[in-house]
This record gives sequence, structure tokens and C-alpha cells, in this order.
Amino acid sequence: MNRSSSKLTRNLIALWAACILVFMYLPLACVALASFSKNRYFRFPIPKYDTVWYSKAFDSLTVQGLFETSLSIALLVTAISVVLAFFGSLAFARFDWRGRKVFQKIILLPIFFPQAVLGLALLLWLSSIGIIPDWRTAVFAHLIWIVPIATLVMSIQAYSFDPALEEAAFDLGATRWQTFREVTIPILWPGIFSGALFSFLLSWGNFPLSLFTTGADQTIPEWLYAKMVSGYTPLVPTLGALTTLGAALVLLGGYAIIVFSRGKGAK
Amino acid sequence: MTGTPILRLVDLSKKFDDLRAVDGIDLEIYDGEFFTVVGPSGSGKTTLLRMLGGMDQPSQGDILLRGERINDIPANRRPTCMVFQSLALFPHRSVGQNIEFSMKMKGIPTADRRARAEQLMAQLHLPLDYYDKNVAQCSGGERQRIALARALAFDPEILFFDEPLSAIDYRLRKTLEKELKDIHRETAKTFVYITHSLEEAMVMSDRIGIMREGKLVQVGTPDEIYNKPRNKFVSEFMGEVNIIEVQKATEDKLECPSLQTQVVGPSQPTGFNSGHLVIRPESVRFLNNSGSAENSVEGTLYNIYSLGSRMQYQVRVGTHVFLVEKLREQGYEGELDDVVKIGWDARDSILVSD
Repeated sequence: MNRSSSKLTRNLIALWAACILVFMYLPLACVALASFSKNRYFRFPIPKYDTVWYSKAFDSLTVQGLFETSLSIALLVTAISVVLAFFGSLAFARFDWRGRKVFQKIILLPIFFPQAVLGLALLLWLSSIGIIPDWRTAVFAHLIWIVPIATLVMSIQAYSFDPALEEAAFDLGATRWQTFREVTIPILWPGIFSGALFSFLLSWGNFPLSLFTTGADQTIPEWLYAKMVSGYTPLVPTLGALTTLGAALVLLGGYAIIVFSRGKGAK
Repeated sequence: MTGTPILRLVDLSKKFDDLRAVDGIDLEIYDGEFFTVVGPSGSGKTTLLRMLGGMDQPSQGDILLRGERINDIPANRRPTCMVFQSLALFPHRSVGQNIEFSMKMKGIPTADRRARAEQLMAQLHLPLDYYDKNVAQCSGGERQRIALARALAFDPEILFFDEPLSAIDYRLRKTLEKELKDIHRETAKTFVYITHSLEEAMVMSDRIGIMREGKLVQVGTPDEIYNKPRNKFVSEFMGEVNIIEVQKATEDKLECPSLQTQVVGPSQPTGFNSGHLVIRPESVRFLNNSGSAENSVEGTLYNIYSLGSRMQYQVRVGTHVFLVEKLREQGYEGELDDVVKIGWDARDSILVSD
């Protein structure tokens, strides 16, 4: 390839990348812009910028309640799915047992269900066995969809784990518990960590499952949807921007921890 | 070499479903010896070693350590330590932390651990500034030494080695084999090593056990294995030797179908009917100009290989291909496709069963 055509290729690739980035992030930027509007209605160009809706959001009891519900669900889902996915992925990647292939298929299946159908099915099932849905049933619903994903994420790490490492630790006089603490957990840690991150973010942003299974409680995505359908206020883009910012912070924080721990390990 | 047995295996067997991976092994391993189990892949040698180390449970038979049955003692409470094929160095720990692992598990104070680790690093020719180095950044040979240091830090009575040198290139492997034998002398511990290379076993071992399909075919010193292979399998394992199918002709003559001639062989065991004649390439001589031998055959010189200090010749006789080896300065002077006469004496051939 000669020099000029490679330059052309480079420029085309850069253009392509820029288009994709604009296409993906422009809508988010618009929401952020809208949240800084003083006006009650969503209009472009924005007539007057203000942060009034942010102070309203921080003062609002409704927003506080939404935040608490969403956070409780996401944290609980993260904790439970990390534990289930950890042992699931180990069983799946490390051991050969009867039914392993079936387990592999069953565990993957919920990912492919349309979430709205899964939510509706769960709602019907819950009411038929007499459980009144609230935020705790939403935790259950989220888990059905998120545990398989977390299991897959952790399996990648578990697959590359040499079983001889645990045998070596045990052979060197470690107890089962010491082996687990000193070898298994630290080596699988990146997988556990990204599994946790996935669990939290997928639960935090989930709408269709929450819609059917939270009952009288409401998460932030549900509230955003309800307000878009009727009763739009500029709190919608404000809260939307805030939740996105929250998710981005969790992601950045996670990335920082990984970079930091890697730097420490390589010392 | 004899001595007090440290390990005794009695009818030791391991079954996986229908497969008898290890099949009724009786063996004594002496205190302080370097014992090597040699066998092709699938011969059950790894399974045998894993049972001795406590990673696998025997299906049948006993393992006795200084006379005490240790079948049910788990690996972490056996005074033995394994160097794994993959080495199994902890990737998230530094060189020093890897070496100190067993001492940390025992709760030995940090300063004592470090002192012992540095002592081992010095003994194994590892630079002391590697203490804080990440094991992933170490070379293959260094990683071998770290794994050995980690095992020695545990202070086991017996060290097991599961082909740790198999992934190392030839020259480094030769160096490490000798280093390992030096370490064996310095520590005076019992080493049990497994490998698929008889050559590697010969260099290091006091005694060698040849394993095939879960059974020990022959146990002996390197000399015994080299000079008196028990059967064709063991002979083939020694690498490049001439193995000729033979049948009994008379009391001292053997019929060789592939050479279409009869040869004088070593004395036949009673009841001998058919088997193989093993002749080492260096025992075969060229007889063209001068010299004689008890057995001689004629063939064509097909190829010449240079092995450094030695030359190897391929001579085709009938359907058989003879290998002949000579020191370079005593090599055959001639051309390819020459008709050559080669020969050997009966005492240089070994008669083995199938």
C-alpha cells in the first residue's frame, strides 16, 4: 500500500469513528443540555440556561425515594448475583459433571427472553402464588436476567484458571480455606469485579423488568418513563443526566480500581 | 543402590471408569534416591505421581511412607511437595511471595521467611533483586528455579516432579537437568521425577522405572536399563537403536526375516521362540577395507547425518534400515549409494522379548 492511500484510509477510519461516536453520544448530550434549561418545556435551541432543576432534584423527596429504591435493588442484585455467578462459573468452567451442558443452555436462556415478556410472566406467577410485588420482587426479577450474564463474564476468567494453582497451594500445606482466600479469590478477582460491575449497571438501568415487578415502588427508569408519557417536567432530563452520570462514575471508579491494582501487582 | 525404603507402593492401582490408568504397581523408593518414572503419554505415570502426592486417591492398594499407610492423608498434610508440569507459580504474587507461600501458611514470621527465601534464591542461582519481581516477567529457566525454591521452602521429605522441563528448549533443559541433580546432592532429599524422555532420566537418576499401560515394565539403574533392556518396548524407548525381528533357528543361530539371513546371537533363554535383537548403532562396524565380525551383511549407504562429534549412517539391508554411528574422525569414507559391508559381534547384541 502506498503512502497516500494509507493516509486516506486513516482519515476514512477517523471519520467513521467520529460518526459513530456522534450517533451514540449526541442524544445523551442533548438530554444533558435539556437538563440545564430554565424553561419548562423541551425546546431547541435552549432559550436560557440554569441549574434550577438540579437543585430541585436534590431537594425533592420523590427523587430521594426513587434513588433509594433503585440503589437498594441494584446493590442487592449485585451482592446476590456475584455469589451465585462465582460458584456457578467455577462449577461450569472447572468441573465436568452430568448435566453440565444442560446447565450451560439453561443458564443462557433467560438472556434471550424479551425482558417485557419475562417481566409479565413473573408478574402473573407472583400474583398466582399470592405475593404482592414490591422492590424486593424486582430484585428477584433482575437476578433471573443478570445472574446468567454475570456467570458468563466470570466464566471467562474461570476458564483461564489453571487448576494446578489450587493444587499447588494445597500441596504446599495451605488449608482449603487458605487456598480459597490466597489463590482462588485473588486470581478470579478481575472476573468477580467485572461481574459485579455488570450486575450493578444492568440492574441500575433496567426498565422492562422493573416496570412489571416493582408493584407500588418505583425505580428511576420507571419514573422517567412515566413522566415522559404524562406530566413532563425538566426534572426528567435532569434525573436522566444524573443517573447516567452515576453509572459513568461507577464505571470509571471500577476502571480506576483495576488500573490501580494492576499497577500494584506489577511492581 | 540400596537403602531404607522411604516410600513403598503395594499393588497400587487407579481406575477411571473402565480404564486401569495405574495397574497394580509394587515398588520401593529408597531414602535419598533420585527415582525417575519414564513412560510415553498415557502410560499412567502422571496418575501414579498424583496418587503419591495426594492429589488423586488410589482405587486399590496402599502407599506406605516409612511404613505408615498414607492413602487417606490429604496433600496438604503429607511431607511431600510437587513441582507441577505447568509449574503453577502464583501469577498474582512476586517471586519472594511465591517462594515463601508455604512458610506464610505455617505462620512463620516475615523476617525468617525472607531469610530462608533469600538463602534458597542464592542456592538456585536466582538474583536476590528478583525478590520483588513479578513471576510473569521471569524467563522459563528462572521460573523453573522459582518453582523448585518454592517446593524446597516447604522442606518436604520427598519432592515430586511432573515433567517440569518438558516445555524448555534443549540446551537450557540440559543445564537444568544437571542443576537439578546438583540440588539433589546438596539437599539429600528423595526426588521422584517423571518424564517421557529416557535420555533425561539417564542423566539424573539413581534408578529408573519404565512404565507402560499402567504397569512398571522394568526397574533398574541407568546402567541396567541401558545394558539389559527387558523387552522391545524398553529398547525402543532408548531412542535410536537397531531392532531386528528374529526367530529361533538353532541353539545359537537366529533367523532374521527382514535381512533374509541367519545371525549368531547372544545365548538364548530357555524356551525362546521369537523376539527381537537389539544392536546399538555404535556397535555396528564398516567391514569394507579391513576387519571382520561374527555377523556381517551387505547393503547400500542411503544417507549420512552429522551429529556433531559423531556421524550417523543409514544403511539399507533387505527391508531393514540399519543405523551405524561412528566418531567423526573414524567415519566411513565413501559416497552415497555405495555398496557397504557392515557387521557386529554377537556379544554386542541383546536379545529381548516382545
